[in-house]
Amino acid sequence: MTESNLKELLLLEKASSEFSKKVLAPEREENDRYPFGPYFNHVVEKAFRLDFFHITLPQNAGGMDHTIGAICIVLDQICREDSSLGGIILTNAMAQGIILASGGAGLMKEIAASAKEPFQLLIAFPALMNPSEHSKLPSARRKGGGYLLSGHLNYLVLGGLTEKAVVPAVIPGDKTYSFFLVSLKNPGVTVGEPVMSHGFHACPACDVLFSDAEATLLGEAEKGPDYFTQMAGPMQLAASAMALGVMKGSLTEALTYCSGRVQGGRKLKDWSAMQLLLSDMAVQTHVADMLIKRACQAVENQEKDWRTSVDAASIHILSAATHMTSDGIQSLGGVGYMKDFGQEKRFRDAGHIQALLGHAQMKKLRFIKKILS
Amino acid sequence: MITRSELNRVMEKEPKFDDIMLSLRATGKQPKGIIGEVREVIAVARQFNEEVVRPSTLKLDRIMHEDPDHLAWDLAKKANDRGLYTLFLPKIFGGKGYNLSCVGYFCEELASACGAVANIVGVHYLGVTMLFSSWNLKIISGICKDIVDGEKNGEPCLLSLAMTEPNAGTDSQNVEFMDTGTLACHAHKTVGGYRISGTKIFISMGHMSTWHLVHVYTDLKRASENTVMLAVKTGTQGFSFGKKEKKMGQKACPASELIFNDCFVPDDQVCIDNRDASKLRRSIKETNEQIFAYIWGASRMGVGAFGAGTARAAFEEALKFAKENELDGSAMINQEWCQSLLAEMYKNVLVARIAYAEATYANGMHGLWRVINFKPMYYFVKHTPRAVLSFIFPKLSQLGLMTTLFRKICFDYQSKDEMDRVDGWGSFAKVVGTDAGIANARLALEIMGHAGVRQDHRAEKILRDSKLFQIYEGTNQINRLNLFKRLIMRQTPQASVFSPVNV
Repeated sequence: MTESNLKELLLLEKASSEFSKKVLAPEREENDRYPFGPYFNHVVEKAFRLDFFHITLPQNAGGMDHTIGAICIVLDQICREDSSLGGIILTNAMAQGIILASGGAGLMKEIAASAKEPFQLLIAFPALMNPSEHSKLPSARRKGGGYLLSGHLNYLVLGGLTEKAVVPAVIPGDKTYSFFLVSLKNPGVTVGEPVMSHGFHACPACDVLFSDAEATLLGEAEKGPDYFTQMAGPMQLAASAMALGVMKGSLTEALTYCSGRVQGGRKLKDWSAMQLLLSDMAVQTHVADMLIKRACQAVENQEKDWRTSVDAASIHILSAATHMTSDGIQSLGGVGYMKDFGQEKRFRDAGHIQALLGHAQMKKLRFIKKILS
Repeated sequence: MITRSELNRVMEKEPKFDDIMLSLRATGKQPKGIIGEVREVIAVARQFNEEVVRPSTLKLDRIMHEDPDHLAWDLAKKANDRGLYTLFLPKIFGGKGYNLSCVGYFCEELASACGAVANIVGVHYLGVTMLFSSWNLKIISGICKDIVDGEKNGEPCLLSLAMTEPNAGTDSQNVEFMDTGTLACHAHKTVGGYRISGTKIFISMGHMSTWHLVHVYTDLKRASENTVMLAVKTGTQGFSFGKKEKKMGQKACPASELIFNDCFVPDDQVCIDNRDASKLRRSIKETNEQIFAYIWGASRMGVGAFGAGTARAAFEEALKFAKENELDGSAMINQEWCQSLLAEMYKNVLVARIAYAEATYANGMHGLWRVINFKPMYYFVKHTPRAVLSFIFPKLSQLGLMTTLFRKICFDYQSKDEMDRVDGWGSFAKVVGTDAGIANARLALEIMGHAGVRQDHRAEKILRDSKLFQIYEGTNQINRLNLFKRLIMRQTPQASVFSPVNV
């Protein structure tokens, strides 16, 4: 890494850290009330101005041309306080990743150049799904030079907010799915109400019905799984960085609380049983931090077996975060369950993060099948 | 083969036979009629779930997200109309008289449909448990009458238990911590009663309860020896409700702040204080510890059953999902990995149920309902016409002699071993059941993938609801230490628990 790259990354880290503490943390509880409270448009707007949605886009597509390590740094910082914005950044990066994998750098540049406000740039994507695992995808019928989409797509993340979406669909007769870019303002698209969800309240998803909705094929037909694999490789690491941020936030919250709260005439931090629990939390967090750094290095250096490193790190960290955030609540006792503290949200968000990019158990099965083969 | 004295000596070695063979011992001791009663209360709960809870639980959760100040009176009234708040009140006090050994099974059923609704009904019995732990028959009789009247006139009369304070969670629940803790609810003895000041927080169902069983302290520096249990009625001058907590789950069951500001509570609402405790065999501090053991032994058994219920709910949702969906090209239910996880979840439910069932036996033989499980007493009450009981007992309960007699039996005749067994198994059931609830809810989310995070698929709500069970009634961390204290520590006389030695 060159010195100027390092400097840029440090600046990005500082900017995202300040953003997390000064913009996200103070309004976390209120922002989490969506869809029963106002949407945090001003937060998304600020993130847009700071180019958080352009991080991994190459320069020729209108982006900052950073490596996967850069988006991991930003997501780590942001998710310490509020994973919803992290969910928006990641979902958008996934959609952009599919467009780029399909050879659509020009298209992406066009979108980025014309976007004057965040939701003109942001692209909805079914971020919690690996389309290969599902048999009920929308169908795509050829018409003229384009395609018409029909059928249901559940849980399209950012579906109710953005103008465009990248969605999987199957062309009749094809063996597997393809990806399409579709305008959600299209008269053939019915976007449902925001789905009430476990975490990520301000990164909402909607169920969508396509009824002969015009769409553009991205890249080649039947290449969906290839594009998904290209995108998901590094993006799994980005999802893990979100989990890492949640873990770091949980650890800080737990240490702060246990250092101040007194029960039985002693500070909680002085109970050795509590020290054990805090130690587990700290160990898991440090392990996750090391794994991500190492896996980022493997990706950036295009090491021979980088995908295995990424898969292993991701499976481990996403699972560890769910347990660790649960311990985080235990360390806070009753207040850990209340919305005034951030920990209950971290607990929910960790569960949500684990579902990103497909079924947790399927990820494990694919991992071992690859090793066995 | 072995002499009686030799047998007794060997069986007294750790693990003591009496500690670990509760169900076996209960087989002969427990009245057989309880089996039929358990079947009936499970059926009552299942019917309530089918007709009331399941059709409304997700909608109610959504309403609570939208309006955190909403109170679920509609649901409480339906429970009241179906007699759920008098189900376990003894017949001698006008209740339906189902044996308290049925409570755990009832709790599991309710929690299998909704953790919040399980609390809307179950927390009332937590208050009942605290009330009964004082064995003040006069007050018990009066409050039970209010509950029964509430059922008749359609206005639920619910009970809450108030111990936790802003700076005292664990400190308020263990005598070991009370004197070094930061308790602040002060009681001052005055002519004809007590004047109390202070704040209680996280009081489940506080805003919806009519009677609140409150622990306050006449000397905050030596609270373990100066605890007073009072029954305070909503509307009493100097008593008001503060905020309702905004919780992650169990949203329909409010967690309330109770504020006492020079609130006068008359002597006839004092359940037990030092004047009563000083007449008992044990020291006042030991008696307070015994009261805690009675309460926690029963209530933590119930929380363990809630945990078993949520573990079951998660299992049932995951099973339904696996039956109805395909993944990776084939039916989930036929994929071995999925079958294996479902079996793991089923196992968690069974273990949780066995744990609270054993704790139930401990309570039945040695704990809160040992008197009513005494066979002659059980069958006398069961077969005596309600009219006769309701004529005799309210009058008898007004006699101080009856309270003295019951306290003698329940406090003085309970051995230390029995106390350990009840409290230890309560902690065990709670830890096992509620950990199973979380483990299964997590597995359900993993099995269901992106469908799992949707509120309309219920699994995520089960996870949110389950988490509170690991926290309240003492965190599972504290309950592990209590399990050590009650059932393990006595094997090593040099050991101490809840002690600064651990720093």
